Amino acid sequence: MLEYLWLVPALPLAGFFALFVTEGRLPDKIVAVIGAGSVGLAALVALGAGMEFVESGEASYAQVLWTWMAVGTFTPSITLYLDPLSLVMTGVITGVGFLIHLYATGYMWKDHEEPEGLSRFFAYMNLFVFAMLMLVLGDNLLVLFLGWEGVGLCSYLLIGFYHRDPENGYAARKAFVVTRVGDTLMAIGLFLLFRELGSLDIQTALGDAGGLDAGMATAIGLLLLGGAVGKSAQVPLQTWLPDAMAGPTPVSALIHAATMVTAGVYLIARMKGIYDLAPIAQLAVAIVGLVTLFISSFTALTQTDIKRILAYSTMSQIGYMFMALGVGAWSAGIFHLMTHAFFKALLFLASGSVILALHHEQDITKMGGLWRKLPVPFASMLIGSIALVAVPLTSGFYSKDAILLTAWEHDTGPWFWAGGVLAALMTALYTTRMMVVAFLGETKTESHDASRINMWGPLVVLAMLSIGGGWLTFSVLDDLLGAIDHIPHTHPAALVTVVLPLLGILLGYFVFSGRMNVNSLVESSLGGALRRFWQSGWAFDWVYDRAFVKPFLWVARVNKGDVVDLLFRITAAVTRGLHHIGALTQTGRLRWYAANMAIGLIVVVLIVASV
Amino acid sequence: MAIEVPVEQVLMVAAGLFLLGLLGVLVRRNIIFLLMSLEVMMNSAGLAFIAAGAKWGAPDGQIMFMLILALAAAEVAVALGLVLQISRRFDTLDVDAASELNG
Repeated sequence: MLEYLWLVPALPLAGFFALFVTEGRLPDKIVAVIGAGSVGLAALVALGAGMEFVESGEASYAQVLWTWMAVGTFTPSITLYLDPLSLVMTGVITGVGFLIHLYATGYMWKDHEEPEGLSRFFAYMNLFVFAMLMLVLGDNLLVLFLGWEGVGLCSYLLIGFYHRDPENGYAARKAFVVTRVGDTLMAIGLFLLFRELGSLDIQTALGDAGGLDAGMATAIGLLLLGGAVGKSAQVPLQTWLPDAMAGPTPVSALIHAATMVTAGVYLIARMKGIYDLAPIAQLAVAIVGLVTLFISSFTALTQTDIKRILAYSTMSQIGYMFMALGVGAWSAGIFHLMTHAFFKALLFLASGSVILALHHEQDITKMGGLWRKLPVPFASMLIGSIALVAVPLTSGFYSKDAILLTAWEHDTGPWFWAGGVLAALMTALYTTRMMVVAFLGETKTESHDASRINMWGPLVVLAMLSIGGGWLTFSVLDDLLGAIDHIPHTHPAALVTVVLPLLGILLGYFVFSGRMNVNSLVESSLGGALRRFWQSGWAFDWVYDRAFVKPFLWVARVNKGDVVDLLFRITAAVTRGLHHIGALTQTGRLRWYAANMAIGLIVVVLIVASV
Repeated sequence: MAIEVPVEQVLMVAAGLFLLGLLGVLVRRNIIFLLMSLEVMMNSAGLAFIAAGAKWGAPDGQIMFMLILALAAAEVAVALGLVLQISRRFDTLDVDAASELNG
């Protein structure tokens, strides 16, 4: 199957073209079959290719498709490169991607505004899967960049899918523009890399990376980190992700939880060779992760929109991955990426079922007592939540544990570990709050669960993966990702990581179900101010609005006449003036023309004669 | 016995005729006189050809003159049509009346 690797990205691309050229004229049933089926087939091919790859025991497999262009020594080829890292990513993208597509055939069935909406939705989704696969399978930084921008485009298109509401268009533009800041940094990083190493081929470049001097390696590492920060919604470019929840819920699950936002993690893991040479850049990765982890955990605690809670939770979990890469837990970071894709996709899809059953009510304070009415979404949310909180024996536990134990042994001391553990406590608190407020207590709204097998089927599969996904590490992934250090769980640090989330759940249960009265604390002036500060996402939006958006709008207003355009307007005016002078000679009088011809002839004759 | 006329004198007559014609074209406003002045200019050119042909003993000069005659006849045929149109449209033969085609 390994020689059919090219089919993995080609199938979703074919699906995209099929839906694109028919422009929504296909019946909805065929659209659903093409949309979900193309990704499903790609998942099967990826599974077959992956199994053959694991059995072969090779370190990597490269499939050259064609040479993009040949300019002197610059001959970038379009090559698919499969190694354990890209295999894990491909598995997540096609596997989780297929489940989400399947779910979307149910979720989006009636949930589109235009007749061709379903076709448009799946066209974008298939294009996204293709671009994401090119991102992770590309052997060349150019192909990687193509995929990188492609997923950004699809993210923009899908956030603004319900384009009749201008708010959604604004959210889409915000996501596009904010990530563009990171992409620019990344492009500069790639240019530097090409200038220094003369190759955009990832393996060649990393092989020659030893020749880089430390300053240049640090610069490249930091610039690439800038790109990763934008794409993965880390501080300080994280503000677009909560607004990106304007898109349909399957989009949030696929793009803004499971795959695209983890592209930054992939990029840093892929460029490990650079970061090995630049300890400062690697430390910056860890710090960015830790800061994001903190800010987003506290923000998640105060949000009331269920999708925004999950969005901030996603940011914090990606913060864990960044921290893992930063402290050198490369395999653990990728492992957490995989388990996070399982349980966060599950959480988003289950919340989508809840939202659909409540007719687009997303405010958890208006839910309550839903567990009786919506048993399947509730059970799915519960399983996703315990995996997110990292209760022992769930998938999230193994990955988070591996990250925290590596952080414990980091050179700078256990600071990263302490931050991570505290954030784990916060994770437990906000997750418990979400579950208690939305699903327990009194029933406040009417709900109507209309999900069919194509919606709860993916939930069941993802729930099983969320529970059991962690055991994969002991069988398959260990060989693939190299040793995840299994520090015995009797270590004192390990005990804390086990106990603290459980404490957090208990505490959260007592506080948010009203059994423990903390009103005096919340209502106090300091508590209130802190709550509002957290709720606004640590005032990042406020600051950016004042620092960038308002000044830009001011400049645009002042410069309505467009100063730069003046140059061209002057050129036009001069040309027009010359034309008027020239037109004066055209009098329409025959004798005037004759006289001019005679005078001209005399002048010419005189000149010729004098020479 | 043919009388020898120096070629210089013939050319000077031709030049004088040409200048007279040109002056006529420039100063007359009546389009009929304009055309007549043009004929004078063309005949002066023809005279120069004849003189040059006689000087070199070549028939080309006379051939060119016949060509000019044919050209003049064709030109007059077209021009008289235009004169007719102008006199009908503007009710005058003043060439300056037809100066609408200006910039």
